[in-house]
Amino acid sequence: MGIGGRLKSWIGDQRVEQLRDRLAELAEQSTEHHLRLAVTGLSQSGKTVFISALVHHLLHAHRSGSLPFFDVATSGRIIGSRDLSDESGTPFPLQQAIAGLGREPPHWPASTRELSEVRLAIRYRRPPGLRRVLGESATLYLDIIDYPGEWLLDLPMLELSFEQWCASQQRLFEQEPRLSVASDWLTRLRQVDWHAPAEPALLQELSGTYTRLLHRLRSDPYALSLLQPGRCVLPGELEGTELLQLFPLVLPSWPMGAIPDGSFLALLKSRYEQYRQQVVRPFYLRHFSRFDRQVVLVDCLKTLNRGEACFEDMQRALNGILQSFNYGRNGFLRRLFKPRIDRVLFASTKADHVTANQHHNLDRFLELMIQDAQRDMGFEGIATRCMAIASVRSTQAAEAQVDGQTLSCLRGWRKDSDEEIALFPGEVPTELPRAEDWTQERFRFIDFAPRRLPQNELQPSHHIRLDQLLEYMTGDQFR
Amino acid sequence: MSEADGYRKPILLDPKQLDAAAPTRSPELPAREFPLQQVSDVGADDETADAGRGPSRKGRGGWRRLFGISVGAVLVSGVSIELYRLLDWSFTTHPALGAVVSSLLLLLTISGSVQLWRSFRGLRQLSQIERIQTDARALLQHKGQGGASALLRELQRHYRNTPEEQRLNETIRLLDSAYSDSEIVRYLSHHALSEQDERARRCVQRYAVESGVLVALSPWASFDMLLVGWRNLRMLREVAGIYGVAPGASTQWILLKRVLHNLAFAGLSEMAIDAGSAALGSSLTATLSARAGQGLGAGLFTARTGLQAQRLCRPLPLDQVDQSLIKSVAKGIVERLGQSKPAE
Repeated sequence: MGIGGRLKSWIGDQRVEQLRDRLAELAEQSTEHHLRLAVTGLSQSGKTVFISALVHHLLHAHRSGSLPFFDVATSGRIIGSRDLSDESGTPFPLQQAIAGLGREPPHWPASTRELSEVRLAIRYRRPPGLRRVLGESATLYLDIIDYPGEWLLDLPMLELSFEQWCASQQRLFEQEPRLSVASDWLTRLRQVDWHAPAEPALLQELSGTYTRLLHRLRSDPYALSLLQPGRCVLPGELEGTELLQLFPLVLPSWPMGAIPDGSFLALLKSRYEQYRQQVVRPFYLRHFSRFDRQVVLVDCLKTLNRGEACFEDMQRALNGILQSFNYGRNGFLRRLFKPRIDRVLFASTKADHVTANQHHNLDRFLELMIQDAQRDMGFEGIATRCMAIASVRSTQAAEAQVDGQTLSCLRGWRKDSDEEIALFPGEVPTELPRAEDWTQERFRFIDFAPRRLPQNELQPSHHIRLDQLLEYMTGDQFR
Repeated sequence: MSEADGYRKPILLDPKQLDAAAPTRSPELPAREFPLQQVSDVGADDETADAGRGPSRKGRGGWRRLFGISVGAVLVSGVSIELYRLLDWSFTTHPALGAVVSSLLLLLTISGSVQLWRSFRGLRQLSQIERIQTDARALLQHKGQGGASALLRELQRHYRNTPEEQRLNETIRLLDSAYSDSEIVRYLSHHALSEQDERARRCVQRYAVESGVLVALSPWASFDMLLVGWRNLRMLREVAGIYGVAPGASTQWILLKRVLHNLAFAGLSEMAIDAGSAALGSSLTATLSARAGQGLGAGLFTARTGLQAQRLCRPLPLDQVDQSLIKSVAKGIVERLGQSKPAE
């Protein structure tokens, strides 16, 4: 038994692996400059498009001039960038996404079903100053990962025991629309004797129903976000394994008495623990515990279209997720040993789906949604900011004469039918609309098909505020 | 349209009905009408503010103004009487002499009025810049859209018929329809003025290093002050010219007054720089002779004057203080002195 084996026997397999990864990373970081950017967002909030567009613009930043507010690019200090994603086992399908957006007619990338990584090396000239001593030019490595947003919702489960999780789900299922949609499943749960010996067939049936229920809540008229466990919605490589036969016990009262071995309850509980230990924890430790900066992408327009229940659900989901990240000041040593997020940007995506004069309102509306999380971060001394962005612009500003008034509107192609439309999509409220205001006729934010994103010759008009986002997130790193 | 409910309903339109002409530019067009009112409002505000300040100033400065006017009147009448007598005497002496003197006087009048006109233009441009700066500062705080077109017009007017006009227009053309007012100001500040900033910076650095080296090398102490003053005035004129302000004596004078005022009442940030440069100066001068130290001081003073002049002449507010300029000036002076030492 070598040293490695002995260490493993002392502190456990996972810890040693982790330690080894960390040490390797540490050695790398002390010689080079790394920045790990967390792109956080629920499913369908535009993470993949954001990452593709960001990387695409960065790769052309040395000559295209498409990022006018990104200082290091406008001052001509970027020498070149290289995509090093292939070094990782699961590279981000950048070429595919860019090719899809550049095709005629262009289309959005497919929704993400697997985890993938981007690593970008950006070589830049240092500005005049003392650091020039370290060399005329330097390299910044930017690491971003892309993953299905559904999986993110598992992170809050790390903090909860099975009982606590069930209680929190219980509270959720007391409210509409969950209550009515899930009524069959809820009555079915009540009929089962949870102390009886487990029957695998029944468990499979119940979990199958639960998975279908989650899919229904996720799809259109409801469009809810807080759906746990995330792997039931999108299993990834766990497709069909027993681990996913898991659901919360949403019962009016918790089954009394001690839990007999081999009972339904014991089985569910052990499944939950297994799920946490074998799925969520490794996912968190490998990918989410070490970040320097965070972008939180939020699709505010979806909630405005769908109504109050959707808004509240997304608010709950976001606040839950953001609890799982480490925030705090990031000194030099801390960055080496245990980085924490020291700068957060909340971005409301799809800003091109509203008229430009509504962008400020969109910022304000986003602030409403994330106010709790923002307050917590402010307490930790973290700089936060809200910004309305569009990674790939899909509409053109236009104007129309309506009732003798000039009205700013949008012109673009519908995502579903691909016909050209012009639309005044309504105004984004700056405070939470009252219950009776969440009507169909107030907001009509339509999904647009993208405009073509060329392979070269990128323009500032291909995005909205991607450059300011980059400047805020990475601007101070190019020293 | 249901304004009664406090919001506007979404409307689907026929794409063919849209105003097809230049759709990316068009959203700014309707906004253009509103700012006119805003402009007059701002102007009105200024007037009321002036009116509020007016009486006290009149009460304090009445006698002084009267004194100034009377001195001016006495001088002007004295000079004109003398000139008339000169003309009269020359014509009675000889018609040829009269012709020479009258043509000289004509020349004087013409050149004088051109000078006057220029300096008036310079003064007007300075006040225009001040107005643009105030507008830009207000817009920087403004998150909405549609307030910037008045500023753009003013800027275009300021740079009309100058070499910088093309670049400004090009930058304005590239403005994105999605930018908010504060973003427009920042964009212009970064992109339309970057070349002028660079030129102004080089100019300030050159003059600062020059005056620093001159003072360090000049053998007469009393000569130094004249030298620094001369270089500073030249620099003021050049910086003003770079930002499109017509250089003239009165412009220069007003600028000098404001620069000195700003230096005397420097804000905290400048104090910090001053302290920094003083520390830098002392650490550097410890290794140099006393004369070189004086040269360094004069150079840094010139650099600070130049920065203030840049801040006053730049149409859009300078967002960050250029710390590296001070450092590079100090370095430049020390290097030059180091080079000149072996030559001595």
